[in-house]
Parts: sequence; C-alpha cells; structure tokens
Amino acid sequence: MTPRSVIIDCDPGIDDAIALLMAFGSPEISVNGITVVSGNVPLECSVRNALQICELAGRRDVGVHAGCFRPLVRDPIRGQFSGRTGLGNLRLPEPGMKAAGQHSVPFIIESAMRARAKGEPITICALGPLTNLGTALRMRPELVDGIDRLIMMGGAYREPGNRTPAAEFNILVDPHAAHIVFSSGLPITAVGLDASHQALSTPDRVAAIAAAGGPVCSVVAELLRFWDRSDVDRFAGPGGPLHDPLVIAQLLHPELFETRRARVFVEHDSPLTLGQTVTDWFGQSGMEANVDVVTKVEGDVFYSVLAERLARLGAGTAA
Amino acid sequence: MIPIVIDTDPGVDDAAAILAALASPELDVRALTAVAGNVPLEAVVANAAKVLAVAGRPDVPLYAGCAGPLVRDQVYGKHRALGTFDDALLPVEPAPVRPEHAVEAIVDMARRAEAAGERITICALGPLTNIALALVFDPHVARGIDRILVMGGALAALGNREPWADFNMLADPHAASTVFSSGVPIVLMPLEMTVQALVTDRHLDRLEQGGTIGRHVVRLFRASDRNDPARYGRPGGPVHDATTIAWLLWPELFTGAPAAIGIECTGRTRGYVFADFHGVSDLPVNAHVLRSVDEERFLTRLVERLSRAGPSPPAAGAGP
Repeated sequence: MTPRSVIIDCDPGIDDAIALLMAFGSPEISVNGITVVSGNVPLECSVRNALQICELAGRRDVGVHAGCFRPLVRDPIRGQFSGRTGLGNLRLPEPGMKAAGQHSVPFIIESAMRARAKGEPITICALGPLTNLGTALRMRPELVDGIDRLIMMGGAYREPGNRTPAAEFNILVDPHAAHIVFSSGLPITAVGLDASHQALSTPDRVAAIAAAGGPVCSVVAELLRFWDRSDVDRFAGPGGPLHDPLVIAQLLHPELFETRRARVFVEHDSPLTLGQTVTDWFGQSGMEANVDVVTKVEGDVFYSVLAERLARLGAGTAA
Repeated sequence: MIPIVIDTDPGVDDAAAILAALASPELDVRALTAVAGNVPLEAVVANAAKVLAVAGRPDVPLYAGCAGPLVRDQVYGKHRALGTFDDALLPVEPAPVRPEHAVEAIVDMARRAEAAGERITICALGPLTNIALALVFDPHVARGIDRILVMGGALAALGNREPWADFNMLADPHAASTVFSSGVPIVLMPLEMTVQALVTDRHLDRLEQGGTIGRHVVRLFRASDRNDPARYGRPGGPVHDATTIAWLLWPELFTGAPAAIGIECTGRTRGYVFADFHGVSDLPVNAHVLRSVDEERFLTRLVERLSRAGPSPPAAGAGP
C-alpha cells in the first residue's frame, strides 16, 4: 500500500506533539513536511518543539518549516494548557536538527502545485490556527486542486467553545484565516470540540498508554498527566479532551468517526461571538455544504489505536 | 538613492506614479508588485507590464500578487470600464512578468534589505493585501521596511467609494488593519490631501509638448474623464497615487502631522480610517498623516519629471 502523503500544519503544543508522534508511528502516512504556525505558544517555541518531537521519534529526515508568526489580522492569543514551553513539564534535549530554510507558506504552495501538476493530490492535517493555509490559499487559490482533503482540528459545532462561550481556540486565534479556508472550496473534515470531548484522557487511558511500552509511550503519558484539566465539573470526569491526535486517527481509521455534512461559516466580525463556527445543519443558508463535521468518536478504540501507534516508535528510534 | 517597491493596481494615477518614479534618479525602483484593485489581477498585471514598457524599463521586476482581498468580497475601482490599457491606448510590447508571487518577492526584498543593513520604502498605491500577507510571514519583513506610504483614507473629505472611505481602504480593510498595526511607520496620503491637486488641460497640454512618456500619460488621462467639478469645485482630476512619489522627492511641498491611525473592519462604516492627532485615544502614534500639498509646485514638478523622461533610463548624474 502506498502511504498517504501528508503535510502536518501545527503549533506544538502538547496535543500537537502527540499527534505528530502518532503520525510517525503510522506506516500508512508519509509525512512530507511539518509546517509550524504561531498559536499555542510563540512561533520559535513551536518550531523548537516540533524539532524535538521529530528527534524523539528518530525522524530527522522530516522537514520542519517555520510559518507565519502572527494571525492575519488579530493580535496573537496563546494556549492555556500546554505550559510555558508548549510541552508541559517535559524537558527534551536541545534539538540538533535545524528548521528547513523554506517558509511554510511557499512550502505548502509548492507541494500542492506539484501535486496538482502530477494529479496526485496531498492531504493536509491542520492542528493549529489556519494562518499558513489561509495565506497560501489567498496567494494561490488554485492550489485547492492539489489538496484532496483538509482534516483539521478546530471549531465547536454543537458544543460551546473552549476559549470563549462561542469559540474554539484554533478558530478564535485566526478567524479571518479560517474564513478564507472554509470559503476556499477545499474538502474539509472538521474534528472539533464535539469530537474531542468524546475522547478524554482519563487516568485509565493514560495508564494504558504508559503500559504499552517504549520510551515514547512514557513521554506521552507524562504529557497527558500535565494535560489533565482537573475540570470534573465540565468534562464529567478527570482528563482532558485530546484534540489533535483525533485528526491523525480520522485519517487512519475513518470508521471510528461519524460525520455529518453541513455548511459552516466562521464569524469574524462580532466581538461577542468572534471565531464561532456557525453551522447550517438544515440547509437554511441555501449554500452547499463545505465541511464534514465529526459528530461522534469511538473514544476507547481511538485510545487503543493511539497506544498501539506510539508503541511502534520503539526504543531504537527514541533519543 | 532611496530603494523603493511600488505595490500597485494600475490604474491611470498609478501609471503616472510609476512613470514619475522611474524618471527619478533619486529613487531606486527595485520592483513593481501588482494587486487586484482598480481592475482584476490579470488586468493590473498587464497594465503594469505596459507601463514598464512605456518607461523603457522592462528590466524592473514585475510580480503578480493577490487576486482578491483577505476576507471581504471584492470591489473594483470606479474606472474599471477602462480595464486593460489596450494597444490603442498604450501601443507597446509589455515587459515580462516574473513567476514568483508578489508576497514572496516583498518578503525576500525586505529580508535581503535587513541583511544588507538597509531598509526599503514601500509605496502602496492599491489595496494593502500583498503587503499585509508579507508582514504576517516573518518578523524580519517589518525590520527591512523603512516605511510604507499608503494612498488611502478619507479623514476630512467625503470618501470616493463610500461617504466614509476611499477605494483602497474599502477594498481590503483587514489588510489595512494588519499594515497599520505592524509597527512599520506609515505615511498616509488621504483623499482630502490628494484632491487638493487637480490635473487640468493646462497640465496635459504642457505634458503633451514633452517626451513620448508624457504623451502616453496624456492619452491615459484623456481616456478616463477624471473631472468632477461638482465634487472638487473646479475643473481637473486628482492624481492620488503620484503624491506618494512626490512626497519622497519633495517632502517640502507637503504639510502633515503625526497621528495614531486605525481602520474600521466591520459594520456599516467598514473601510473608515480614523486618525487621532491629539492623543484623545491611548493608541500609539503609528503614522505621519499628510494634510496639504502645494498644488502648483507639485503638478509643475510632476509634469516636468514626466516630460523629461524618455524611453531610456536617465544617464547617471542627470538628476537635479
């Protein structure tokens, strides 16, 4: 089987880091490049974290491209659950590998235009704010023909938001970029809070990852212990919603996910509801559906797949 | 020589600005970057290519940029009907267009300038889409830009596309917001200043006596009636974009004041540029806003510059 060519756009970030490791542990996926964006933490931190995660997985061959250092229009806001460095209390060795010289945006454009010319479109997994992709699409709208699908973490469809009552963090950081992406005609699968709230990192699940073996599993278990929101009131139990790895899981095992197609609009005008993903479930807008919204996740199976993929990153590969 | 990049959506007054810049030995025009605005992107690129050809400067790199604004729906200029500068209007072989995108070209030029210890000046004659995206790429970009001259805003005059907004700011208010908050000093040429200088038949007749470039400019002006006596109170048409080049060449012809400027991105008055000259807000001063221009000297010198220009670049030392 030919592995699926993927670019992972991310802002690591604890859950981004786990998603990258899950992708590295999955032979069905060929990671053609990692494009980093300002989000959870400032760009330099995200780039450093991405490099460290590549080295942890023994993947110095993957290009890590620094991307946009701020949202298109808004001032930056930062994540609240990844700690100061973006990787919780984890202290990984200083990365030996360097970021690629090419910026994320031209890298995405060139990859997609090449894929378009060859008739072999690539997949983009977006785990952070959509600034890089929005910029690329605004510069070269025709690159949509080189991308078969965007699978993205972002939005709150039937759930309330996580950063404001209306908005999920990734969309709120750059609602203008999200608007560009959602209006671009790209086929989109959206893993939002509706999905990740069905996949909480409970202590049992974290213990199962720790027990799956290998140094990467113990690193991920440590990250997940930091990730625990201890917000039993909100999530009806301990643990935190593990957003980003769901994107990789959706690519590997779409059968674990239920989706529903709808037209999604991104609010970018209103101060009160900025970043809201307004979802037209019932065709009231008269506009064609543009997003497959994930509505249901098999949480237990997802966590066992995650543990299995992380365990494949054996002792030989870890730093 | 001041290194400049002209980001443009030609446009008749853009053409006058570009030709004046290319005729000025004080300025080192490093590139033209085209953006959709007055007319769609293909037309602005074709027009810019013809303007370079008219100037006899096909060596100046020309890059195509963004085909539409960041977020809002596209609007075009009032003179859209003029469209492409066709062969009857400008009978020249267009200059080549480089394959790189204008945004990447701006990023590269700014980064190279920073590395070389210099700063480029950007003359922004259209919507600010290209410039905003370049500024979001990389923090080094802002450090390689000395200032951005923006033709836009209608602070004390009625706007030309909405009562509160000129075309450039209305066309991409989000991009303008990003540029204004980028930390790069802005020099703003608002409508109430640009409409103080009206090109009349008297100027065009004088220009017609000049070189071939002057005659091309006259044809462009006569092809689109820019007169609006009801609005301007007298005959003549403004040449908005050329004020940016004029300010670089002859700042003494202008008055202005520092201000904190910003733009409304949402609601009915989207595209409205405000300027706080008196510290009423707690916003930091980010711009020098031009208030008046010496009409007679500006237009005389502009006509003189355009008349003097020939199809070959001015010889070294030929400047004033």
